Amino acid sequence: MPKQLAYYKGCLASLSAKELDTSTQALAPKLDLELIDLESVTCCGAGDIHEAEPDYYLHLNARILAYAEATGSDTLMTICNVCTLNLRQADFMLKGEDALRERVNANLAAVGVPRYTGGVEVKHFLWLVAEGEGYERLRQVAHRGLKGLRIAPFYGCQILRPSKLLGFEDPDRPWSLEAIIEACGGEVVDYPAKVKCCGFPIIQAREETALGELIQPVQQAIDGGADAIVTPCPLCHLSLDAWQSKLNAARKKEGVEPLAPMPIFHLAQLIGVAAGLEEDELKFRRHVVSMKPVLEKIEV
Amino acid sequence: MQVALKIWRYDSSTGERALREYELDAPEEATLLDCLDIVKDRHDGTLAYRKSCRMMICGSCGMRMDGAAVLACKTRMYEIAQAGHVPVISAMGNLPIVKDLVVDMDPFWEKFKAMKPYLQPGYEEPPEGREHLISQERMNHIHKEALCINCGCCVSECNAMESDPAFRGPQALAKGFRFVGDPRDGATVERLEDYSDQHGIWECTRCYFCNERCPKGVDPRDAIAKLGAEAMARGIDRDMGAKHARWFVRSAETTGWLRETELVPKTQGVVSSITQMKFAMGLAVKGKVPPPFPPHVADRVDEARALHKVVREQGRQGAVGIVQGERALARLEHEVAGEPEGAHGGQGSRDQADVTPGETPTRGKSD
Repeated sequence: MPKQLAYYKGCLASLSAKELDTSTQALAPKLDLELIDLESVTCCGAGDIHEAEPDYYLHLNARILAYAEATGSDTLMTICNVCTLNLRQADFMLKGEDALRERVNANLAAVGVPRYTGGVEVKHFLWLVAEGEGYERLRQVAHRGLKGLRIAPFYGCQILRPSKLLGFEDPDRPWSLEAIIEACGGEVVDYPAKVKCCGFPIIQAREETALGELIQPVQQAIDGGADAIVTPCPLCHLSLDAWQSKLNAARKKEGVEPLAPMPIFHLAQLIGVAAGLEEDELKFRRHVVSMKPVLEKIEV
Repeated sequence: MQVALKIWRYDSSTGERALREYELDAPEEATLLDCLDIVKDRHDGTLAYRKSCRMMICGSCGMRMDGAAVLACKTRMYEIAQAGHVPVISAMGNLPIVKDLVVDMDPFWEKFKAMKPYLQPGYEEPPEGREHLISQERMNHIHKEALCINCGCCVSECNAMESDPAFRGPQALAKGFRFVGDPRDGATVERLEDYSDQHGIWECTRCYFCNERCPKGVDPRDAIAKLGAEAMARGIDRDMGAKHARWFVRSAETTGWLRETELVPKTQGVVSSITQMKFAMGLAVKGKVPPPFPPHVADRVDEARALHKVVREQGRQGAVGIVQGERALARLEHEVAGEPEGAHGGQGSRDQADVTPGETPTRGKSD
């Protein structure tokens, strides 16, 4: 019996990172996960609505949680760090403060949205495959393997911190991505910046500061001899993949040698390759940094 | 109990640095600070570190243990010693090191002072013989920010400050909210205008290291979000970061999903975004610039729009939207679970102080 999950894909996987959605959807049945699409939900606000209009942020997320609960599943699965933090934070606010939940529910009812009674837990896809039944299934389906590949895990921020809201693993010494890379037959490249920020939240408003953050994981993964980086977050992915060229543009200005291109996997793509999914589902052609060298390197 | 420590020794006058190991005998209830005292008393009198109150109130003994900022007086050593772990102790990050574990706090205090961290009374004097009373509920808005002891643990780990040392940083901004949120202060608008500058509210990268490290539960990142919310509620939104945030609200109530392609011109302005055209074209060929038409519209987006209207009519704009959930979130406590058998987390930031003494911040670092 597959585990039924309410599936919240978020903005990027619906738009510029469609490859993340198609990979996740193709991979789910292999991992015994049945994804129930949430068609009528909106953006979680990405930390931006939390900062611009926090009361509206809480209501938008309550609405997402309410529709997730209405599917009958006890789990809302996310595939983005930022969605994970936003939804979990709102969920804990609503579960922990009865008067607040009552007010929000009254407002939801006023616009025709079902009540949220606190019946779901928000979990990232990473957590579902890093341990328990999900991990056992992963070991079974990753038969094609990633033999010969050196993979640098990049967690990003909002799947680790604040740990009291995320709570899956030690935020300074996480292990989940490493466990998955190894289950897929890859070799882990360890480096300190794997738990740091990719700069994405301020990449438009403060590009120079953001690039000063982005350089760290890219440079350290290169120094560690990684063939690719894998990340559980589409925002980190966009930053690492699409903005890599800007790191080199800045280096060119300083007269410094460009960095070697570093291919970036979405987590579902990495597992997907190990599970033998096809390009039609994984859509590596949508990446800015070519994935070809790393895919060709896999020893069959 | 037997405790072993590795301590990064550093002398800024000579540039010499070395990782030295010390083994000592300490009582079971000893904190890291107690252990440093034993090292200094009995093993090596040249070790330099700051301390004063020994009870988590003066904020003097901030330092890094295994790359993570802690208050030495709050950190018990028993479990670490029992596990046979030898932690690496180093000075805090993002501040110049004077000697060993002592950092130069001047840049910290400069940023602190620039926030004008004192009340600028704006209320009318109460009639003769009466007190000026403020409700507890209203003061709860700044309860967390008022707990700050200026130890610098948040600043030590700030990822944005590591990239741009001029960023005002989590401590200063949290202090800023302590006054913006104080109903007795009369300079709210001036403060919000000031804090919205190039190195203020909108340069925070939301890495949440500050919330993770703060030994007093201040949650500086949340304080920065409260400043942003107060600024936006008052129409102080000239900064690109504010415009970026505004576009998410607009997207949510019009299509439900982020209108991704329009985000750049809405944030940076049309003229500036034209300079990004070449970069954007590179993304467009990969499908990374989804066409804005026809828009990707969520089912029943009218509900999200109506919800916005209802919420705005209730007038809870600004920091109160965050404050209302603080009690619920304060009840959560995260116990770090052990790793499952066979898993290994590698070094992360734990086994190595990733900015070792004498290293400069990363901006422009090109080697």
